[in-house]
Amino acid sequence: MSEPREDAVVQRRWMTILQKTGTPVISALLAIAVGSIIIWASGYDPLAAFAALFKGSFGSPKAVGDTLLKSTPLILTGLAVAYGFRAGLFNIGAEGQLFMGGLAATALGLALGGASWWVSVPLMLLAAMLAGAAWAFIPALLKARIGAHEVITTMMFTYIGRYFVGYLVNGPMKEPGNIPQTPALDPAAQLPRIATLFSEAAREAVPILNLGRAHMGILVALIAAVVIWLILKYTTLGFENRAVGFNRWASETAGISVQWTTVKALCISGVLAGLAGATEVMGVHHRLFDQFSSGFGFTGIAVALLAKNHPLGVIPAALLFGALSAGATTMQFEAKVPQDIIQIIQALVIFFVAAEEIVLWFVRRRQKEAISHAG
Amino acid sequence: MAVLELRDVTKVFPGVVANDRVSFSLEKGEILALLGENGAGKSTIMNVVYGLLSEDGGEILIDDKPVKIKSPRQAIDLGIGMVHQHFMLIEPLTVTENIVLGREPGRMGVIDFALARKRVVELSERYGLKVDPDAKIADLAVGMQQRVEILKALYQGARVLILDEPTAVLTPQEVRELFSVIRSLVDEGLSVVFITHKLEEVMAVSDRIIVMRAGRVVGETKPADTDDVGLARMMVGRDVVLRVEKPPSTCGDSVLAVQDLHVMGDRGLEAVAGVSFTVCAGEVVAVAGVSGNGQTELVESIVGLRKPTSGTIHLKDIDITHAGPRKSIEAGVSHIPEDRHRRGLVLQFDITENLVLGDHRLPPYAKKGVMKPKVIAEMAVKRIADYDVRTPSASVLAGNLSGGNQQKLVVAREIGREPELLIAAQPTRGLDVGAIEFVHREVLAERAKGRAVLLVSLELEEILSLADRVLVMYEGRIVRELSAEEADAETLGYYMTGGGGDKLAADAVVPVTGGLQ
Amino acid sequence: MLDSIITPDLFAAAIRIATPLALAAIGGTICERSGVVNIALEGIMLTGAFFGTAVVLATGEPWLGVIAAVLAGVSISAVHAFASINLRSDQTVSGTAINLLALGVTGFLMKLWYGHPGTTDQIKTLGSVFTFDAPGGGVLAEVWRWVNAILFTHSPIVYLAIIIAIVAQWAVFKTRWGLRLRALGEHPRAVDTVGVNVARGRWVAVLMSGALAGLAGANLTIEQVGSFTENMTNGRGFIALAANIFGRWTPVGSYLASLLFGFADALQIKLQILRGVVNVPPQVFQALPYVLTVIVVAGVVGRAVAPAASGVPYRKD
Repeated sequence: MSEPREDAVVQRRWMTILQKTGTPVISALLAIAVGSIIIWASGYDPLAAFAALFKGSFGSPKAVGDTLLKSTPLILTGLAVAYGFRAGLFNIGAEGQLFMGGLAATALGLALGGASWWVSVPLMLLAAMLAGAAWAFIPALLKARIGAHEVITTMMFTYIGRYFVGYLVNGPMKEPGNIPQTPALDPAAQLPRIATLFSEAAREAVPILNLGRAHMGILVALIAAVVIWLILKYTTLGFENRAVGFNRWASETAGISVQWTTVKALCISGVLAGLAGATEVMGVHHRLFDQFSSGFGFTGIAVALLAKNHPLGVIPAALLFGALSAGATTMQFEAKVPQDIIQIIQALVIFFVAAEEIVLWFVRRRQKEAISHAG
Repeated sequence: MAVLELRDVTKVFPGVVANDRVSFSLEKGEILALLGENGAGKSTIMNVVYGLLSEDGGEILIDDKPVKIKSPRQAIDLGIGMVHQHFMLIEPLTVTENIVLGREPGRMGVIDFALARKRVVELSERYGLKVDPDAKIADLAVGMQQRVEILKALYQGARVLILDEPTAVLTPQEVRELFSVIRSLVDEGLSVVFITHKLEEVMAVSDRIIVMRAGRVVGETKPADTDDVGLARMMVGRDVVLRVEKPPSTCGDSVLAVQDLHVMGDRGLEAVAGVSFTVCAGEVVAVAGVSGNGQTELVESIVGLRKPTSGTIHLKDIDITHAGPRKSIEAGVSHIPEDRHRRGLVLQFDITENLVLGDHRLPPYAKKGVMKPKVIAEMAVKRIADYDVRTPSASVLAGNLSGGNQQKLVVAREIGREPELLIAAQPTRGLDVGAIEFVHREVLAERAKGRAVLLVSLELEEILSLADRVLVMYEGRIVRELSAEEADAETLGYYMTGGGGDKLAADAVVPVTGGLQ
Repeated sequence: MLDSIITPDLFAAAIRIATPLALAAIGGTICERSGVVNIALEGIMLTGAFFGTAVVLATGEPWLGVIAAVLAGVSISAVHAFASINLRSDQTVSGTAINLLALGVTGFLMKLWYGHPGTTDQIKTLGSVFTFDAPGGGVLAEVWRWVNAILFTHSPIVYLAIIIAIVAQWAVFKTRWGLRLRALGEHPRAVDTVGVNVARGRWVAVLMSGALAGLAGANLTIEQVGSFTENMTNGRGFIALAANIFGRWTPVGSYLASLLFGFADALQIKLQILRGVVNVPPQVFQALPYVLTVIVVAGVVGRAVAPAASGVPYRKD
């Protein structure tokens, strides 16, 4: 039997790589295009809207800072959902784990009082990670042992988590006064703004360093992305995660514990979501209150899908949604377009990404036929 | 007048011509056998006739009138019925519900279940196909399920019945019953197309034989005018070595010792009911039996996918009775699974990742949880070469390989691990002759190296060719053990069906000593 | 104190609260029986609620609002159907996208049409179908008081839900459509090979679930609350999924399971009066239905078997 031409196969590999990065870009563009049509159909000026959007997300160092600020939790929740997807699990409850992470970080931060920054911050992040994992543990166990759909269980845990935090900030953890929020965190328990890392003089000289409210949480997020990438690519943990995500039965036959891998995957996902909650509390609000997350857990789903579940791809995807979010307030203020358009664009991105799978499926089928009938 | 005629029908998939100007005709009241090895295009061409696939060239004629069959519904309306290799039955529903699906009797959308049942009973009596109309498909034996499939086609008014590899899952007795059913269908005026790769069946039941190879019709003959050797030559295009030569076995230490093993099946019944046997080093022990007699559960319990309820399994002196798959692999058991797509390979992984699957935790491929890409890549290159996996590179996805190469990949991994015990379950299912020869060679090579091999197979010829000892499994027990000299297809068939007073009749399937799988 | 909790209106409230859950759950049953998973019940319900309210605000006619809600549900479920059946996307992903889309669209239109987020104005609602007196004293009058409260104080869609449950149950198990529906969810290829159109059967099922979820939304806003608030469905669509599983993928089962959740919710509202006596925070009660859902899912799933082909896109090749 003749072998397929080497160069034909190599050429197809380039095409595959192009597809992998090209199609998310096309999906994002399509979503924005449809969003523009909706804006126009609602009687607003799409150009003005996107100009305002751009101004609010990249138009000034402060705007860039806002984009980074909004992207930080999205990188982490995007990683959380993506890691789960790689194991074949849909962690729709990242939002709940995020809440518990924020809660744990705040509780520990308040308890630690004025301890040194080098002690407080790592411990608080660790507490958030453990809390996120713990909140994912029961759904993980239920899925592994009896196959309970993690979409329903993690979703329920999100509601339960939110009520729990609501109770705490209205009661035991409330600071004196009428507002349902905890006392502020000590500066030693916060993630400082990036701008503060540079001296006044440096910031005057290099204006871009004036990154507004962007905080060090972005570093946490970037490091997390790299760590997850390394795990998936180079460790047995990552290998087993991917194997189970693709084919449980072959994994089981090869000696991989599917149950244990499922639990680990959902818990690691929870860890990442918990970190997202911590960075929000420690870097942005410096206290806990019950609306501190604007649906980062759910946006993380769109981020993960746009990134095709690749940990490094999550970074640009999160930046896109962070930019949309940062620019949305300016867009509403200046062009009068309701902020909800962002959510609509998010949903469209998910649709287009999911739809492109069909195109890819066709291409893969042709590749397969060619190789199989030559071998 | 031909009831069905194909003229130059062609079907093309991207990169391959599955059917190349196929022409033949089917006369009324005729049993036509479509013979060819796996991948010859015989199932494809009949799927085109049945409307599941569309032809890319040529024409199809029913009763001398050209037709364009775009869907199974049209095929059914034209009187063509098909019973597929993998049954199209809905497990939780009853026999009656399955048969009338699509043409349910009743008024204004409400089903008249009483009438449906009556029609099913009438039909089954008319054609001599006894079924229980109220039984759930999930509770029926495979042979019975096939009857339901045939009744389904008859209910829909088939005049032409296409049977795709119908005997793959039947006992020899059920095969005989099927053949007599086919003859009585023909007596009632039906015409039958019988797709198979088994020479003895073709010789036993067909009126005319069409041989296909590589998408083309390469020969047409009658049973009276040919024999198995001639057919084999037409099927493969060369003289085939019908049985592999092997030196006598050198049985060494006992490697696998199974003692009074009991294993529960999926439906709450005992699948393995007290099995004991040993396999020694340098020996191939084959488990023969019709599908569904406990072989699958036996293998699963040895490799750790299913826990026995009692009894013991020892690998040399290690007790692996309750070991899971991981411990079994570490103890030295390798397993070529029955279903390479489900249990054998991760199709979305590339060749390299599939090769390291199972060993991915162990040195030299990983240390303390971190994997070593270079070591793994070197291993992959070597295995691809040693086991002749045809691929341009080691990063091709397993799902893109042909069936034969996929199985070679599984073999490369499992044998490359140099196990103490190799378990091969249906290792040549769905493979073409070249791949079958390769797998058999590898099994015998393991045997020559002094490893122990447990072969589970539904193909008698494969067993007779490779085994030193044959254990016949029936209803969860080993009912007979035969040495290679004692075993022949007739005897095996006898024990596989319970061996009690059911001797094969003279006009039944005559097993050919030395046919192809 | 117990008798201030166990009152007729507790059970009446249970039936009322269960209604949107039940309608969505029955929709989920039909959809999943055909082999399509519908995570989007939440978003469809929300969309139905919004458009129902909008039409009543514009026309003043509650029944027009109900029709609008159903149509809105059908329309948005068509998107799910197209993505899942024709494009063969991952059904859970597509469903999630619809949930997000619903949130976005309803929030967007709220601001666009009414100029503010949050809650719309009050609308004319649909009241009780029957109004009977409950006069007099004595045992008979007491019994009548209970029967009246539980059975005869409901708005139209509540009764409609019960009727739909019974009719759907009959249809799924006794009609041609029902047999083919069940077959589709178990073995679509078998259905294809006898000549029944798989895609069409699934489309119909998804659209029906959209209609039912839209009707659920109408009940929520036009009969219960009387206005639309952003994200007012608050997880009901997911609880409905659990009710379907608990009810073993049968319409009547889904209804009864929803009654259980409705009862839990009605009970938690009643139990808030305990707060005066025992210092339990309101969130404990509010979280109760969600905890119950997890318990139900944990307890039932292992033994309940979903349709075999559920969630798997059908490929013709």
